[in-house]
Amino acid sequence: MILKAQIAFLIAVTSFVSAKVDFAHEVLPILKENCAKCHTNGKYKGGLSLDTREALLESETVELGDSQDSLLIQVLTAQDEDERMPHDADPLPADSIATLAKWVNEGLAWEKGFTFKKKTWRAPLGLKKVDLPGPEGGNPIDRIAAAYFQKNRVQPPAPIPDARFLRRVSLDLVGLLPSKSELEKFETSDRGVKRAAKIKQILSRDLDYADHWMTFWNDLLRNDYAGTGFIDGGRRQITGWLYLSLKENKPYDQFVRELLNPTAESEGFIKGIKWRGNVNASQVPEIQFAQNVSQIFFGENMKCASCHDSFINNWKLEDAYGMAAIIAGKPLEMYRCDKPTGEKMDAKFLFNELGPIDKSLSRDGRLKRVAELATTEENGRLARTIVNRLWARLMGRGLVEPVDMMSNRPWSEDMLDYLAWDFAKNGYDLKRTLSIIVSSRTYQSATVIASKSGESFVFEGPSAKRMTAEQFIDAVWGITETAPGKIDAKVERESEKARAVRASLVKSTLLMRALGRPNREQVVTTRPADLTTLQALELNNGREFVNYLNRGAAKFVAKKERVETLYLEALSRLPSSLEKQVGHEILGARVTPESAADFLWAILMLPEFQFIN
Amino acid sequence: MSKALEFENRRDFLKKLGTASAATLSMGAPRSFSDEIEQPEAKADCCILLWMGGGMAAPDTFDPKHYEPFRKGLKVSDVGSTFPAIPTSVSGINFTEGFEEVAKVMDKGTLIRSAVQPDLGHILHSRHQYHWHTGYVPPQTVAAPHIGAWMAKVLGQRNEAMPAFIDIGQRLEGVGEKEELKAFHTGGFFGSEFGPFLLPYPDQAIGAVQPPKGMTPGRFTNRYKLYKKLMSEGLVGRSGSEFQQESMLQSMEKAHRLLSSREAVAFDLTKEDEKSAGKYGKTRFGQGCLLARRLVESGARFIEVTTEYQPFKHWDTHEKGHTTLKRLKSEIDQPIAQLIRDLEERGMLDRTLVVIASEFSRDMMIEGVPGSNARDQTTHKVDVISELKHYGQHRHFTGGTSVLMFGGGVKKGFQFGKTADERPFVAVENPLAVEDLHATIFQAMGISPKTSFDIEGRPFYATKDGIGKPAMEIFS
Repeated sequence: MILKAQIAFLIAVTSFVSAKVDFAHEVLPILKENCAKCHTNGKYKGGLSLDTREALLESETVELGDSQDSLLIQVLTAQDEDERMPHDADPLPADSIATLAKWVNEGLAWEKGFTFKKKTWRAPLGLKKVDLPGPEGGNPIDRIAAAYFQKNRVQPPAPIPDARFLRRVSLDLVGLLPSKSELEKFETSDRGVKRAAKIKQILSRDLDYADHWMTFWNDLLRNDYAGTGFIDGGRRQITGWLYLSLKENKPYDQFVRELLNPTAESEGFIKGIKWRGNVNASQVPEIQFAQNVSQIFFGENMKCASCHDSFINNWKLEDAYGMAAIIAGKPLEMYRCDKPTGEKMDAKFLFNELGPIDKSLSRDGRLKRVAELATTEENGRLARTIVNRLWARLMGRGLVEPVDMMSNRPWSEDMLDYLAWDFAKNGYDLKRTLSIIVSSRTYQSATVIASKSGESFVFEGPSAKRMTAEQFIDAVWGITETAPGKIDAKVERESEKARAVRASLVKSTLLMRALGRPNREQVVTTRPADLTTLQALELNNGREFVNYLNRGAAKFVAKKERVETLYLEALSRLPSSLEKQVGHEILGARVTPESAADFLWAILMLPEFQFIN
Repeated sequence: MSKALEFENRRDFLKKLGTASAATLSMGAPRSFSDEIEQPEAKADCCILLWMGGGMAAPDTFDPKHYEPFRKGLKVSDVGSTFPAIPTSVSGINFTEGFEEVAKVMDKGTLIRSAVQPDLGHILHSRHQYHWHTGYVPPQTVAAPHIGAWMAKVLGQRNEAMPAFIDIGQRLEGVGEKEELKAFHTGGFFGSEFGPFLLPYPDQAIGAVQPPKGMTPGRFTNRYKLYKKLMSEGLVGRSGSEFQQESMLQSMEKAHRLLSSREAVAFDLTKEDEKSAGKYGKTRFGQGCLLARRLVESGARFIEVTTEYQPFKHWDTHEKGHTTLKRLKSEIDQPIAQLIRDLEERGMLDRTLVVIASEFSRDMMIEGVPGSNARDQTTHKVDVISELKHYGQHRHFTGGTSVLMFGGGVKKGFQFGKTADERPFVAVENPLAVEDLHATIFQAMGISPKTSFDIEGRPFYATKDGIGKPAMEIFS
């Protein structure tokens, strides 16, 4: 009785098939394997191009909705071997022909934007030394930018005043607003090299720097103080290691080696996140390793290829499994679309040309080897990917976009190559690269709105960036003096008691999540740029935020020169006389905690406050 | 500053908005991949999901099996249901005792008895809940959006002053598995604009759409007015704004409008007349149902009301199943029925899809499905019942789950699929996988299961890989 019911159940389940044929998962593999060689990407035998849907339609070999009348299908079943396709090969299996016929009958669905045609530009792997254009001396970025602006007939953006520079550079490098006294001192200093000195001083604030960049790296490395997977030991933090690495400004190549070939403190990264229970073959920790390492360190998307050969880039299932096999404890069987293939894959690094991974190596040996291959100087992609991420953070948009598609062409190859080369040749020093960028006139310019986007993007200057949730909350805590008493992150911070608690070091709250701090279940390299309505609601009446305002207001009432002080603290500038007038209008003749809270709110809600301009 | 300059900047901004938006799109914001997809005609404008978090045991709710009353010495294997069957308003469809009120409205809806879930091995509720709510089994390489977010994204708001996706009754702090719950209570890669508006306590919902506590409406309006004045004097006013800044101001405007709108009254349960409010009972779930009705009336798109998932509470019975369900059913029977009646009375049931569902079912004996390697998680592993606490559905079961639907074009008094009469109570007719159940819900809402958006250059579908197939038989 039991058996009978089970069988009936199985039959019913397996007889369920999807109605429409799926181009990406069903049609494309057939075309790739059997047709692409002769009919795509420049080779169009018999005048037939399968590059795009449009090209295929133009060939007139397809009658939409009628496979029997379509030459494309007819030639697959032709009796005459000379006529039959593919030429000089076995006929296609019946089920493949049926799939293609169904595809034609259903109207030739195509993946939007997909083309067989290969991009003509190929991202180089090795580092490249760039001969800097223009006269000797000066910041290398400015020299490359000057030549670029000239070539593209772009009016270089206007320089920004000291106060604006200080606010921007302080938020960008250590995530904090400059204090009122710091601002006053900086603005009145008449030292010729005061900006250079300031950059140096800010970057030397090791703890502030580490506090700030924890946000960036936690997003990338999926590290957090609470989250999915911790519930049954399916995840491990790398907090202590990460913080220390940032504090010491650990050379980036060493940083990556310690992540790939970890110690007990850093092994959480390659361990991945495991939810309890069985996991789809394309999401087991080994595949997570392949995907995340490829994305984070090399800007390559291995997510499609974890399931089947990718149709958005050139990665194949074998590449994903080759990477996964590095970390696998035992030989890893390949699964295509969650079905076992019976094949086992040997460990192979993403960029095969850098060298093999010896089959005889143990897992530890393979990890050591992959750490080597990832960080060898011949692997210029390591440097290019990270300098591009830093550029994007500071300038509001990457040299290459999206920042996780490093095979896309940068808007300036020279700029990317130069920065990558300089970075690798100078000890993979992250602070050095940050310093070069923020020292440039190009960085120290007014923000612009790019007039062209996508592939035709032209760099016209830096763009404004929205504060991260952490930057915003740190700023609010500072202004309202409401930072919580202790951090959640287990890190070593000297003189802990004297240091302000930073948002990056506490567990996420409803407010932080609302403002865009991710769950860190997935790798996040770019946070959303827009303030949404739900976020705005949270800032209007959310309990957490209102609480900060009210507590801040109580202290604000007692302050002197309130309007001026708040403008200096929040916006790094003095109010205009009109602003002062409106400020006093909000505060009223007799400042009350309520009117103070309203004024604080109004300032904190200004786009000028929430954006790094 | 001069007015003329501001105008020029604004015009400049509008001119540039086109390219700027395109720029954000190219930077990874989701873009529809599926222009060519034909969307089905919507049968409903809004959807209410009544979520029975924790695993609602079908044999003790909507799919009665062989009943044996409690007695010492009873063999577990002899029991199918721990409640006797009761008739409903539809002959041939029986529920179990405790659902007398819902039984009366069965003639207005469709009962699916054959929903099935994949065997994920050692069971974690929140993992199945993630699957049920997003259509994807975690972990995932991109943040999968909740089905409410899909509706918000594809269909948009019904009323500008009403959040599209509202979630009632589930706390995300102070409960077990909260991190796992947070992972799917999200707009996913669509972004927070499409994420849930969270109202864990229905009786406090009004607080979420009012000016902050202690602030009079007058002060609230004045604050906003002066803020705008201040802004026109500030950097944006003086030097023109970038499009993100402009979009920020739009969001502030929308939020302000919501907080001072007439619709806000819909969130206020004290505004419901006592007699009709009383029909929903005083429990959080009952209040949630009442709130859902009011919000749907005011133009919400998708609302989830939950009995609240908490590990080992409510439906999650690892022991004392019978007694727990007895109480739970008494709390939800009346409000569910009342919600259906109220919607019908107001002429809204036809265009509102109500779905009552859970992440899986439960069984007295089988963990997962027959043959699964799932670890047995029942508290008392007994073959013979000696105490009342042994009596109940204490194991998680993924082979046959009931889903009840009303309105939104579904047939009235109809049963779809069935489970075996004898254990294992697996679906033996029309098994409906999660993606197919979603496709069915989406069908009613006018969303093709193949609808997809581009994320990181690849398509992400409303149902897994776009393969979900709606059960068309359930629509009239």
